[in-house]
Amino acid sequence: MSDNAITVRDLTFSYGTTRAVQDVNFDVRPGEILGILGPNGAGKSTTIKMLTGQLLPESGSIEVLGFTMPAQRDQIQARIGVCFEEKNVYDAMTAAENLAFFARLFSLKDFDPMLMLEKVDLSDRAHDRVSEYSKGMRQRLMMARSLINTPDVLFLDEPTDGLDPVSSRTIRSLILNEAARGAAVVLTTHDMFEADELSDRVAFIDEGLVLAIDTPEELKLAHGQRSVKIRSRNGDSTTETTVALDTESSAAELRDAMEHGEILTIHTEEATLEDIFVEFAGRSLVT
Amino acid sequence: MNTSAIKAIISKDVRAFTRDRFYLFMTFLGLAFYVGIFWFLPDTVNETIEMGISQQGLEAYFDTLVEEDGGLALASFESAEALESAIRSGDGPAVGLAFPSDFAASVADGAGTEVTLFVTSAVPAEVRGALSSMVREMAYLAAGNPALVVLPTETEILLGTDRAGDQASLQETMRPMFVFFMLMIEMMALATLVATEIQTRTVTAILVTPASVSDVLVAKAVLGTVLAFSQAVLLMALIGSFGANSLVLLFALLLGSILVTGFGLWAGSVGRDFLSIIYWSVLFLIPLIIPAIAVLFPGTAAAWVQAMPSWGLVEAIVGASAYGDGFGELAGPLTHLGIWCVAAFFAGMLALRRKVVRI
Repeated sequence: MSDNAITVRDLTFSYGTTRAVQDVNFDVRPGEILGILGPNGAGKSTTIKMLTGQLLPESGSIEVLGFTMPAQRDQIQARIGVCFEEKNVYDAMTAAENLAFFARLFSLKDFDPMLMLEKVDLSDRAHDRVSEYSKGMRQRLMMARSLINTPDVLFLDEPTDGLDPVSSRTIRSLILNEAARGAAVVLTTHDMFEADELSDRVAFIDEGLVLAIDTPEELKLAHGQRSVKIRSRNGDSTTETTVALDTESSAAELRDAMEHGEILTIHTEEATLEDIFVEFAGRSLVT
Repeated sequence: MNTSAIKAIISKDVRAFTRDRFYLFMTFLGLAFYVGIFWFLPDTVNETIEMGISQQGLEAYFDTLVEEDGGLALASFESAEALESAIRSGDGPAVGLAFPSDFAASVADGAGTEVTLFVTSAVPAEVRGALSSMVREMAYLAAGNPALVVLPTETEILLGTDRAGDQASLQETMRPMFVFFMLMIEMMALATLVATEIQTRTVTAILVTPASVSDVLVAKAVLGTVLAFSQAVLLMALIGSFGANSLVLLFALLLGSILVTGFGLWAGSVGRDFLSIIYWSVLFLIPLIIPAIAVLFPGTAAAWVQAMPSWGLVEAIVGASAYGDGFGELAGPLTHLGIWCVAAFFAGMLALRRKVVRI
């Protein structure tokens, strides 16, 4: 048995004749956040569905917490938390009732929904029906629901998609806390900034294939271009010079740019995950 | 099977049901409405035909032709005009025969005579025909001739159960209809619960916990059956249906509840919203209600009506509540109901399983 919380090997799945996921491989360690980055329809959600037991893989293997999916689904599902892309909460029930219901499914004794709702800033609306909740509040409730069994592995499918900044911040903070606690987190998103901010490693996925998997820093260093942009004034005119930092002449060009005229602004620039994804996939993350 | 998960899902669904104002309202409204109507319906059946005759002295012929308690009550009128007037007013008999004063003498002489038959539009054609035949028989008797047809050994072959003199009242024959409407409301409530769970994808949230697809199916099936059964039993209790054969009736209602639960699971699996639930439910309702309508009309139901899934339930309800039939007498209808019940239930479970697995 490996030390990984998740081990995925050669995972493949098709919807009819359409190959959704193809020979996907990755590992996630306890306490690590793996961001799966890709445009809509890339295969992110399908991968999560197989990892959580909602879909049966066509081929390949999945091991979660030392158990094999789907053969040992029950053991796995007792120790994972899942936050879905759809806001699938019970509208006719209150937030507290929603959480209490799922706590019963996990056979949790003495579960107090208020403690969990405090974590997502919903304790003051605990007894309101979810039908009265905003999109952000529903998402926070779903996040709370995914944490009720103190999961060892957390699967989050687009957890901040379309949310207001306050709700997004609350959810990101929770994700970091869960990883700090030791939970392995698999996070799918098409938000490159979120992936960059939260992920220890990111996997680029497109058309069912994992194109690259590494830390955001390594991906940027290996595949992006760093540069310095200098704006200076010479008499009445202003000039803007961009110096690439990854060439042999970078130092000389930078020195030269600094010595000409009065410097107004200096900005460093580095490649974004979006740029690197485009380099790999040949298309943007937002489609 | 995870019993604690099943209990949790059932309790969650009961909460959802009690918060669905439409179905809660319909359940109580239906209950009050059907009970109210039931007690207003006539609880007796008058099988006697009241017939007026305008020529006194002919009663003896009728006594000869009609058996005692043969369902014919005679009322004599002084004249054909008086008889016609009484029938027209609606307060008098429904049928009348106006004999000429020389009826007996004319037929005895072999001369022709004329008898006028008065009927209201509500009198069935077969009754009119029977009265015409009766007049001819009277003419033969008056002429001193034997009857045209003699049956030395009278043999009566009955198709179905002979209910002559023991017909169920409208109240009793309407019972299956009321039960059916009650079951249908609960079927739609279950279908809505199932469809909502599927459409909002809350079921996927359940399925990534230790609860399995089987737990969800069992919970829905138990909830649907209990909802339908409890409402049906409550209705039957309120309309005074339980007597000596309560056990048979309870058993039939339980099978009926399982039957509609199967259809409810099916409708919930294919329905996308409230309107499509109504559409699918009505599609099931129409064939299912036919036997309940058929029982309102005396006589044996057509073979295709007897093939309907609900025929056994209707027969069992009428048999047990109106005629005190037991398991022995109702073995056929109960077996029929049981077979349909198993088929509908498994079809519903299969449809729901396919839907849940494919989300």
